[in-house]
Amino acid sequence: MQYKIMLIEHNRLLLEQLSKVIENAPDMELEARFQSSSDALGQGRVFSPNIILLDAEIGNATELLQELIGVFPGAAVICTGEKWEAESTSHFIQAGASGYLIKPFTYNGLKEAIKIYTANGMEMDCHAMTFFSPKGKSGKTTLIANLAMAISRTTGEQVGIIDADLQFGDMAVFFNLEPQSTIVEAARDASFLSPLDLRSYYTKVNDKVYVLCGTKTPSLIDRVAIDSLEAVIKMSRSLFKYLLIDVPAGFNPTSIAAAEMSDTTYVVAMMNGGYEVKHVQRALEIFAGWEDCANRVKTVFTRVVPCNDQSRRKLTEAMGCPVEAVMPNAYMVVSKAADNGQMALDLEPDSPLAMSINYLAGRIIHPPAGGTGDD
Amino acid sequence: MAEEKISGVVITFFSTASAVGKTLISINMASELARQGCRVCLVDYDLQFGDVANYLKLPVEHSVYDALAEMKKNPEADIRQQVEQYRYGTICFDVLPAPEFLDQSYNLSTEACTELVEKLRLLYDYVIVDTTSMFSKLNLAMLDISTIVTFLGVVDFIPTIKNMKIGNDTLQNLNYDTHKIRLVLNRSDAKTRISMEAVQKLLGEGFYHVLPNDFRAASESISTGVPLVLSGSDSVLAEEIRRLISRYTNRAYVPGPEQLGSRSEAHHKGGLLGRLFRR
Ligand SMILES: Nc1ncnc2c1ncn2[C@@H]1O[C@H](COP(=O)(O)OP(=O)(O)OP(=O)(O)O)[C@@H](O)[C@H]1O
Ligand SMILES: Nc1ncnc2c1ncn2[C@@H]1O[C@H](COP(=O)(O)OP(=O)(O)OP(=O)(O)O)[C@@H](O)[C@H]1O
Ligand SMILES: [Mg+2]
Ligand SMILES: [Mg+2]
Repeated sequence: MQYKIMLIEHNRLLLEQLSKVIENAPDMELEARFQSSSDALGQGRVFSPNIILLDAEIGNATELLQELIGVFPGAAVICTGEKWEAESTSHFIQAGASGYLIKPFTYNGLKEAIKIYTANGMEMDCHAMTFFSPKGKSGKTTLIANLAMAISRTTGEQVGIIDADLQFGDMAVFFNLEPQSTIVEAARDASFLSPLDLRSYYTKVNDKVYVLCGTKTPSLIDRVAIDSLEAVIKMSRSLFKYLLIDVPAGFNPTSIAAAEMSDTTYVVAMMNGGYEVKHVQRALEIFAGWEDCANRVKTVFTRVVPCNDQSRRKLTEAMGCPVEAVMPNAYMVVSKAADNGQMALDLEPDSPLAMSINYLAGRIIHPPAGGTGDD
Repeated sequence: MAEEKISGVVITFFSTASAVGKTLISINMASELARQGCRVCLVDYDLQFGDVANYLKLPVEHSVYDALAEMKKNPEADIRQQVEQYRYGTICFDVLPAPEFLDQSYNLSTEACTELVEKLRLLYDYVIVDTTSMFSKLNLAMLDISTIVTFLGVVDFIPTIKNMKIGNDTLQNLNYDTHKIRLVLNRSDAKTRISMEAVQKLLGEGFYHVLPNDFRAASESISTGVPLVLSGSDSVLAEEIRRLISRYTNRAYVPGPEQLGSRSEAHHKGGLLGRLFRR
């Protein structure tokens, strides 16, 4: 496809520099360029671009954006700025921009931005979920990996996983990935990255599922500052329709920050005949501090035997509050899958585990209206 | 000259994966040492979701939180007034459970927690510390001050073994004395897809001791609140825990005659380690 680009840039030097990038590109044409809003508004309408690069710092940028969208309904408007700011980005996206790109950009950067933003738009209605567990070995990494696959298959949407289990993250092993970059590099660069750049820090599982892998050694935890992690989560929300975050067990700065930044927090525990119900109840008492806790925090028990609705109700009774889903005991298939870098979902697509995963994926994709599933 | 105080042995249970049996084994170690007549205090430094009081069915009136508060208020006070006691028949040992409320566990300082154990070791022969499975500031401090660290692992699936390897390498980088860190495998014959030999090869080290899998005995002990070594259990697990302790305390361990025939093959694998621990 030939991109016909209209470039609007108030900085004379940048205007030249960016024009060159476009002019030298084999599949792009510089349809028109303007240095002021008034020129763009007055004269722009005689051109027919399919991509408009709009300087976010130009005077009246928001008005101009809306005007451009009205005049060129078939074109994608991508705002450009010299640094990434979540606030102003979300402002422009809400006003109708397809994306936000950091300048100066290279040909490849521009191409990538156009590809992604014209395909998906820049997602702002991402559903971010943190999987919290009071104690470790809750089955949450297994749950996240399989859920991500199930959600992407059902919806065809982009799904991201952040492995923020900062000392012993296992996600790369689950998917048999050899990451070129991890959350450590993403956090290091967070302050000057744009979401698009951040995408390259994720490791691809397939066209729909991407993982930001965890640290390689435990001491690297100190290199992931909490505000950087927050920036990474915030930016990732604009890359994916669904974002699943794995965190270390218990309440710690990482798990708290991730939960705070998520739309839903799943509290996950594995049934082992011990005190797991009590631990979950204690954890929920802390989350109860959130006003919207009832909608925002959900409980999942894994390794529930027998795994049926009756058990779920029994657990609901024992807990005194709803249990969102229960996962069956599937030790053999789950560990075999992880050992081979495969998904349990794929090894046994008709197993009770796969059914439970798909059930939960369904509730994430189409949240039941106003209910918790319990009558 | 000030009175020379004898400082007791601190044994910390540590792991890089959860649910490997740190709490179960530490409780049994405390019990067995108490049974042998030692003065023992078991400290639960799994501050948020500690299970020591749960597994012993001990009501929590005094916890780590209270002990720390008392220590701050009155540095000279006898900490033994702030502990719980576990009793089974004539056997008893002291316990400092994790705080009862989560908000009490969040802001406890590592320095104070360390000082508490340093105080306790002057009062007891053995201080047993149960921890969480990560390299937290508190756990690192416990590793530092311990006499012995039981680094517990299980052969589960690949991610767990990866973490055991990373944990073992990290412990080696901390440059503790060779004899301080004791690699113990729990649940050795559980249904897993990976062999113990493969794990030892990966770790570049043999296990110091191997504890068998006995889910029934373990669950029963948790549901009754009575440690295996006290309940008169004839399980191989109780037997091997006793054997591990006798290796720690350098006391000869003579199994009852009924056990001689049924010894698990596990302790035969100690050859390599027997060489390391010629004492
Ligand atoms: N539904 C299940 N039934 C039985 N076993 C399971 C189930 N889900 C996971 N497991 C097993 O439990 C163990 C822990 O699983 P997983 O790594 O997913 O949990 P986690 O909460 O992420 O643990 P960690 O604390 O190590 O991060 C693994 O051995 C896994 O095979
Ligand atoms: N040798 C064993 N054989 C069978 N089951 C065991 C054995 N050791 C421990 N278990 C079981 O494993 C589970 C975990 O044990 P425990 O709670 O002691 O682990 P932990 O390392 O303290 O876990 P956490 O890190 O979550 O505190 C318990 O259900 C316990 O009964
Ligand atoms: Mg995990
Ligand atoms: Mg424990």
